[in-house]
Amino acid sequence: MRKLYYWLDDRTGALGALKAFREARVPGRACPCRAMPFLLVFAFLAQGITGLFMLMYYSPGAQSAWESVHHLQYDVTGGWILRAAHHYGGQAFLVLAGLYLVGMVLRGAYRAPREFVFWTAVLLVLVSLGSLLTGDLLAWDQNSQSSTLVRTKFLALLPGVGAGLFKLAAGGPDFGHLTLTRFLALHTIVMAGALAVLLALRAWFARRAAAMVQDEVRFFRPFWPTQFLINVGVCVLFLVVIGALVASHGVAGPERGVELGAPADATDFYAAARPEWAFMGLYGFSNLFPGELKLLPIFVIPGIVVVLLFLMPFIARLGVLGHALNVLVLLGLLAADAGLSWMVVVEDRANEHQQAALAEGRRDAERARELIALRGGIPVEGALTLLQEDPKAQGPKLFRQHCASCHAFVGGTDEDIPASEVSSPNLFGYGTRAWIAGWLDPDKIKSDDRFGKTAFRNGKMAQFVKDTFSDLEKEDEEERDLMVAALSAEAALPAQADLDKKDSERIAEGRDLLADCTDCHKYRKGGSLGTAPELTGYGSRDWTLAILANPAHPRFYGDRNDRMPIYAPTADDAKNVLSRRELELLTDWLRGQWVEP
Amino acid sequence: MKKPPQCACCGNKPAVGRGPYRRGFLSKLLALALGALALAVPAVVGLISALNPLRVKGQGGRFFRVTSLDALPEDGTPRRFPIIADRKDAWTLFPNQPIGSVFLRRTGPSEVKALAVICPHAGCFIDFDAKAGGFLCPCHMAHFDLDGKRTDEQSQSPRDMDPLEEVEIRDKRDVYVKFQRFQTGTPQRIVEA
Ligand code: FES
Repeated sequence: MRKLYYWLDDRTGALGALKAFREARVPGRACPCRAMPFLLVFAFLAQGITGLFMLMYYSPGAQSAWESVHHLQYDVTGGWILRAAHHYGGQAFLVLAGLYLVGMVLRGAYRAPREFVFWTAVLLVLVSLGSLLTGDLLAWDQNSQSSTLVRTKFLALLPGVGAGLFKLAAGGPDFGHLTLTRFLALHTIVMAGALAVLLALRAWFARRAAAMVQDEVRFFRPFWPTQFLINVGVCVLFLVVIGALVASHGVAGPERGVELGAPADATDFYAAARPEWAFMGLYGFSNLFPGELKLLPIFVIPGIVVVLLFLMPFIARLGVLGHALNVLVLLGLLAADAGLSWMVVVEDRANEHQQAALAEGRRDAERARELIALRGGIPVEGALTLLQEDPKAQGPKLFRQHCASCHAFVGGTDEDIPASEVSSPNLFGYGTRAWIAGWLDPDKIKSDDRFGKTAFRNGKMAQFVKDTFSDLEKEDEEERDLMVAALSAEAALPAQADLDKKDSERIAEGRDLLADCTDCHKYRKGGSLGTAPELTGYGSRDWTLAILANPAHPRFYGDRNDRMPIYAPTADDAKNVLSRRELELLTDWLRGQWVEP
Repeated sequence: MKKPPQCACCGNKPAVGRGPYRRGFLSKLLALALGALALAVPAVVGLISALNPLRVKGQGGRFFRVTSLDALPEDGTPRRFPIIADRKDAWTLFPNQPIGSVFLRRTGPSEVKALAVICPHAGCFIDFDAKAGGFLCPCHMAHFDLDGKRTDEQSQSPRDMDPLEEVEIRDKRDVYVKFQRFQTGTPQRIVEA
């Protein structure tokens, strides 16, 4: 046995190293306050380990990055824990590095001969910021893509080289596949490698500095085992904190772990994009400056701050005053960062625009999840196409863009879309009995929810409704309800299918009554086109598609069409305002026709 | 004692010569230079391909049909339209995809003005804010009027919104715009290559 030992030591020097470890000393009593460097190494290793396992699931690529993260988050056992642990672990590393730096300054431990120890600490903070920045993009959800895009575009501020730098970072003129492959290489190799080197250098410099002051300190205690035990204890505590963060959104349900937003759209911009908390202060700071001077808050002033940090050990040579100055500057910076971050949070909370964009982003994320579950997987074109082809996701966007300048979509739900200036009917509940009933109600038809703001306010229809349906008797009311049921059944809304089936007899009766309308409207065999919209198939998919395409067609309003744009006058998408696909999405959304789990 | 194994190459010959071994300045220099050069070879090989994105051009500078004249409200309210073209992301080709957007606004019966949607500040997409009757960039809250002029006392944007100067109405109805993108962040307007 002994022989084996010596052989091993002879060849590897292992015993010597072990001995050195056992005899390592710390100045003074064992104390948790000395655990920070150890903890930094531990946190780094933890990131390396979780990162490695995440890498086994990651696929960089504009149509596969988000998808692979989604898979890890929702399909892989424990995947959400892995992802959350790496997410919070990375931020915690930054916090630890920051605390280490601040602690060093407060204790005065950055002064000679520990300059190099301090400088590596500064670099540790900077590189971990870089690591967060490059890692954030990899999830490739709306926020990570758009906020990284803004940050990367800031490179363009640098005179002369900026535009080229942006292309190099993005891997081309736009964000896409190559941005992801680049950022992945930077994050997993360059940043992680730099951190490893810095941690090793820090240990080396700290040793040299300790050797220099060895004789000044009177009491040295062994590192092993007491200090080591304390260090490990601190690491366990750190793990507990990370565990609590991982579980902070619950341990069950789709919200657990770290949020994954809707898949990024490289051709669009997420309006609610905001940087991660670590950059929030800088974001707030840059907002204080006018556009022409952006170079200052984003490159010049942060650059000066970094230089100032590097100079601190020399400033400290000026004596107590110098040290006090350093402490003051550092605390001031921290306070400013916290204050500015807080300011951004407060402003955003009060900002309707921001809140609406956030809510839409969340809805898209949830819908993407739903659609993937319904399909049983993600098609090869990526998850974004699932969303882009979904009426529930696209309807509100198209409506806001093309319809909401005149029409409202307001029914007291959180999906309400108010009109910017109501001048046409409220389309909430389109085709339903409640909605149809509004047309046959003498009060409602003249309200802003129907014809109130249109040229038809005092038209024949309004007059007819007033004459026919004012102060109804009980049985007349019943007749009107039959007409409503029959007309609404023309729409064949999916949500009303059961109701329509149940009431088929009443609907048949109502159909007979609708014959009264054929003086103006064409309905089934009666009446003719050209005076008022056709009632056959009123609100059905075909009918709706056709009226959206061309409301001025004789089948609808003809030449009496009031301001409703003609979205698709020809059969050729290229010549129309809205494509066939967009009209279908709008129609299906208005009619509540989409897949639901 | 065992003899050390023989080296097939030099046969472990003892160094000959008088006095201590001399390290010539030249060999030091040569060693360093060669070492650096050797490392530089893989680095350069890598860098050449890493710099490739500098050569890749964006899709600006061409005329695209954006929409038809009827799609533009007569009252001059701006509308946002996508520019549809084949988009290429490294190796993937996306046929008929939005590659960008423009705001179009009618300024006369057959006169149309076009503005880029990309914010001159840092590249967010600007929204039209109907309530305020102007444009708003959601990222850092820069406001612009209908002509794209900055309206904030202290704007986040270094310049007014970028106009796309060349707009053509062909066949009396089709709106064509020469699509261009501009560098963000600069007070001057620099067309992106
Ligand atoms: S990107 Fe538009 S204001 Fe900053």
